[in-house]
Amino acid sequence: MSQQTLAEKVGVTRQTILAIEKDKYSPSLEVSFKISNVFKVSLENVFNYE
Amino acid sequence: MDFSYKEKGLIASLGVTLLIFGWYLYGAFLNLSLNPEPPGFGEIIILIIWVAVLESIIQGFLASKNKSQLEDERDKLIEKVSYRYGYYFLSACIWFLMAQILLDTRFDHLPVLTTPYGMLHLLLLFFVLAEVTNFVVQLYYYRKGF
Repeated sequence: MSQQTLAEKVGVTRQTILAIEKDKYSPSLEVSFKISNVFKVSLENVFNYE
Repeated sequence: MDFSYKEKGLIASLGVTLLIFGWYLYGAFLNLSLNPEPPGFGEIIILIIWVAVLESIIQGFLASKNKSQLEDERDKLIEKVSYRYGYYFLSACIWFLMAQILLDTRFDHLPVLTTPYGMLHLLLLFFVLAEVTNFVVQLYYYRKGF
């Protein structure tokens, strides 16, 4: 899935997806859940807290 | 270097602000005198119209080149933080100006700044610099990450 497609599904900009991937931005809980819903996996499988 | 739609818009706003207000304030501070003509509101209004027109043209052009002008939570957060820095900067400048007025001796070496015309332009300079701070902080966070 492209960053643009994911961004559209989640309702954020492609730059925000890019920033999340590069660990330069911690998304809100709402966006985190939306991302995990898109991939149909649990939150812990997408994000982890270090 | 690859810039996002938001960054291009910010650079354009920064450029227009620096160009128009920089040009105006440079001329105004060069021509400050102890017995100046009263400040003309017409000049300031024309200046604001110039900024608004140039901003509209550039932002319209950028918007036509980008299909998505969505603003998300990251944009809002960066904007919020940058406005806070702009506010801190403006507050510091206003406190500085108030101290100058209360102490009444600090502008001894530059008495033209104590005239209404000088004060008006100092205030305008502080507002412009606060806006520049806002743009620069936003650009910094878009580049560095937030």
